[in-house]
Amino acid sequence: MFRLARHLLHLIVSPVLNGGRYLIAGSWKRGLALLVTLALAAVVGGLMFAWLGLASVSARSGHWPVTEWFLHMAMRNAVETRSVSVKPPLTLDDPKLILKGAGHYETGCSSCHASPGKGQSLIVQQMTPMPPVLATRIKEWTPEELFWIVKNGVKFSAMPAWLAPEREDEIWAIVAFIRKLPELSSEQYEHLALGTSASGWRQNQEAGLLKGLDDPLGPTLANCVRCHGAKGEGRGPSTIPILAGQRERYLLESLEAYANGERKSGIMQPIAAALDDQTRRELARHYASLARPEPAARVSEQTEAIQRGETIAQYGVPRQGVPSCAHCHGPRQTPRNPIYPDLSGQHADYLTLQLELFKSQKRGGTAYVHLMHSAVRRLTPEQMSDLAAYYAAQTVEASQ
Amino acid sequence: MTLYTSRQIGLNGRHGGMIAPVIAVGGCDLHGPQSALSPAGVGAEQISSLFWWMAGGAVLIWAVVIGIALYATLARPRKKHDVQGARWLIIGGGIVFPTVVLTILLSYGLMLIPKLRSTGNVDLHVAVSGEMWWWRVRYTSPAGEPVELANEIRLPVGKRVSLSLTSPDVIHSFWVPSLSGKVDMIPGRENTLILEPTKPGTYRGVCAEYCGASHAFMAFRVVVMEPQDFEAWLTHQAQPAVSSGSPSARQGEQAFLVNGCGACHTIRGTAADGRVGPDLTHVGSRLSLGAGMLPNDAQTFARWIGHTQQIKPEVRMPSFGMLPEEQLTALATYLSGLK
Ligand code: HEC
Ligand code: HEC
Ligand code: HEC
Ligand code: HEC
Ligand SMILES: [Cu+2]
Repeated sequence: MFRLARHLLHLIVSPVLNGGRYLIAGSWKRGLALLVTLALAAVVGGLMFAWLGLASVSARSGHWPVTEWFLHMAMRNAVETRSVSVKPPLTLDDPKLILKGAGHYETGCSSCHASPGKGQSLIVQQMTPMPPVLATRIKEWTPEELFWIVKNGVKFSAMPAWLAPEREDEIWAIVAFIRKLPELSSEQYEHLALGTSASGWRQNQEAGLLKGLDDPLGPTLANCVRCHGAKGEGRGPSTIPILAGQRERYLLESLEAYANGERKSGIMQPIAAALDDQTRRELARHYASLARPEPAARVSEQTEAIQRGETIAQYGVPRQGVPSCAHCHGPRQTPRNPIYPDLSGQHADYLTLQLELFKSQKRGGTAYVHLMHSAVRRLTPEQMSDLAAYYAAQTVEASQ
Repeated sequence: MTLYTSRQIGLNGRHGGMIAPVIAVGGCDLHGPQSALSPAGVGAEQISSLFWWMAGGAVLIWAVVIGIALYATLARPRKKHDVQGARWLIIGGGIVFPTVVLTILLSYGLMLIPKLRSTGNVDLHVAVSGEMWWWRVRYTSPAGEPVELANEIRLPVGKRVSLSLTSPDVIHSFWVPSLSGKVDMIPGRENTLILEPTKPGTYRGVCAEYCGASHAFMAFRVVVMEPQDFEAWLTHQAQPAVSSGSPSARQGEQAFLVNGCGACHTIRGTAADGRVGPDLTHVGSRLSLGAGMLPNDAQTFARWIGHTQQIKPEVRMPSFGMLPEEQLTALATYLSGLK
């Protein structure tokens, strides 16, 4: 055994020494040849090492300090270099962005990165590299760098890439939220990411607004409630839609479109894909049966934006090639295809965002979505927000 | 596909009068529905006679100049010309003669212009708007009401008609070779073209200015009719739609409203009042579908509605191929029945 080792050592060391000697002696060509042979031997040796199963892939021991240093150095610099061209939106302090990001943090990040009031899972702590407690790391990065990491993920670690990379608006919502992480108390976090506090949950349940946990839909709804509100009423002004009173067929086909990737959203796709057909049908029926809340503003208020929006919605802008919206979305006396969604009383910010997404063709949707691509193609941003203001102020009864 | 082939369209018309004789020699049809050389209107007659005079003048000049050249190189006159005589041949035949002929032709051409452009004494006004990639046509009904139609123009024979030509999007050009010359339709501007058809018949018009993906599919029919037929036609077009009322047609009308076709199309007499696309009140009575692309029958309606984007590239109407088959059929029955 010992002799074998000595032999091996000799085999490796002597060419190096010899190579050096040859180089010094002036015959650099022979020296070079030897070094190349050596390099090849190292590669083959490495391959053998891995092939024979000698490399340690155990996560238990962590990385060698040098490996860890190297990987982090490479990651840090890659993120820095590659995020140069990233442009952040105007405001990252928008509470609507933060609210939306919070909901998804609870779905998709907290299990690895911990959240205020809830320490890191022991299981996650056995990972190599171990996901950091994110709150402690935020200060290390600029918003652009955080955006790049969340969008692209990190290779050789478990950090996943964003499911719908075209939905950069969602990624910015996550960044807006995680920038607030270090200063959040556990109550604040619970409010943002879980919505109803525990007591609110109980009240709602007693009032019969929530299905109990014994109802087959109960546990699933408990999740939807976090973002869409206990009664599907949405959560404050935000870009999370109101579901209550939406048309059943549209809800169902939208959930299917998320599940099969036809509609793009890093937030809703994973949730919808985890539901089975039956549950999706029941959820659609459930939300369609709830009453849509009264809109915050009223069409009768007739602000200028609402008036302009009403004119476009009713008559379109023919010279600009914009069709009227009312023929498909109401308000109209005539019946409408049940897959055309109801927009009345929906959050204005959600409507504006969807119109922008249709225009840039980043939204996707059901088999009917191309109708919207042609409807919004020539709308200006001002017209979009006027239309959103109008439909947000419309009551459901008026639209049917 | 029942798209019209270039032969049916008549190459001569599409490429204009200038190269027409060349093709005509090759055996093409001079008398197609879209030929500047078989004029059926005053403007086209003038343009056509100008063309023939020009061609005649060109042949004359060519013959004289080449004749003198052949004479100079090949002829062996017994008595040589003196220098003076030779100079006269060169100056006279090579410079004076062509100048005189061309001046006469130019004056003739210039003289035609005021007549072609005069806008006096019109019997009828029609507004035509070229839009990507179809034609919006506005008449005034006998009762004095505006009537909006599309993709087809009908005119009374022997009457002077003034067309006001506009465009809401990009430059198009209105050209019915059998009736007159072409005039551009320019956004923000109104151009006038006078048509005075002299022969009843059906002619074909095209957009003669590249205007985007489906420019080549932007055509229309012009039907020249006896004045009393024209009156009857216009009175009928001004009426609201009359559906056959068969169960399938009624289902089609329902499908039209339920699916929001009315956001872009008007069918007078129904709730559909959209103004983005062509008026469909009497679409079944037109001679073609999709701005001159397809023949007008129930099958082509179903194909148009289900495969709009494949039939006409980038067309500003979304395909409705996702609708159930029976709704497509019902829509086709309903629309093709709107005579
Ligand atoms: C499956 C576990 C896992 C999930 C889920 C996950 N991450 Fe990570 N994340 C990691 C790991 C592991 C790293 C460490 C990468 C490294 O060490 O270079 C990381 C690193 C990061 C970093 C860089 C922090 C730093 O300083 O190294 C950010 C920011 C981050 N994740 C954000 C998120 C967000 C936001 C989400 C949810 C959308 C998320 N992660 C979901 C595992 C995860
Ligand atoms: C983490 C927050 C979150 C949770 C949890 C959540 N949603 Fe959503 N949901 C969203 C957001 C954000 C959107 C808008 C996505 C977009 O822009 O396409 C949305 C969109 C939807 C839509 C499309 C609505 C429309 O008008 O187009 C439906 C349907 C829906 N969610 C149903 C559900 C159901 C059912 C559940 C529970 C199983 C659920 N959601 C759970 C955040 C959430
Ligand atoms: C020809 C019918 C049609 C017309 C016209 C039309 N829409 Fe739509 N719209 C649809 C359909 C179908 C959907 C559902 C798309 C999907 O998700 O597949 C939709 C979806 C939407 C949504 C998203 C709703 C949600 O909950 O996510 C908004 C917002 C919207 N339309 C606004 C408008 C506006 C504003 C106009 C007028 C400029 C308009 N639409 C004109 C058919 C139409
Ligand atoms: C977004 C607007 C829009 C909607 C919605 C729409 N169309 Fe159209 N439609 C157009 C436009 C624009 C044209 C003209 C296309 C061309 O020839 O370039 C057209 C042309 C047509 C034509 C041919 C008309 C002619 O004169 O040749 C028919 C028929 C038609 N549409 C039927 C329908 C039906 C049926 C529906 C509903 C299922 C519908 N359209 C929905 C915009 C629309
Ligand atoms: Cu054109």
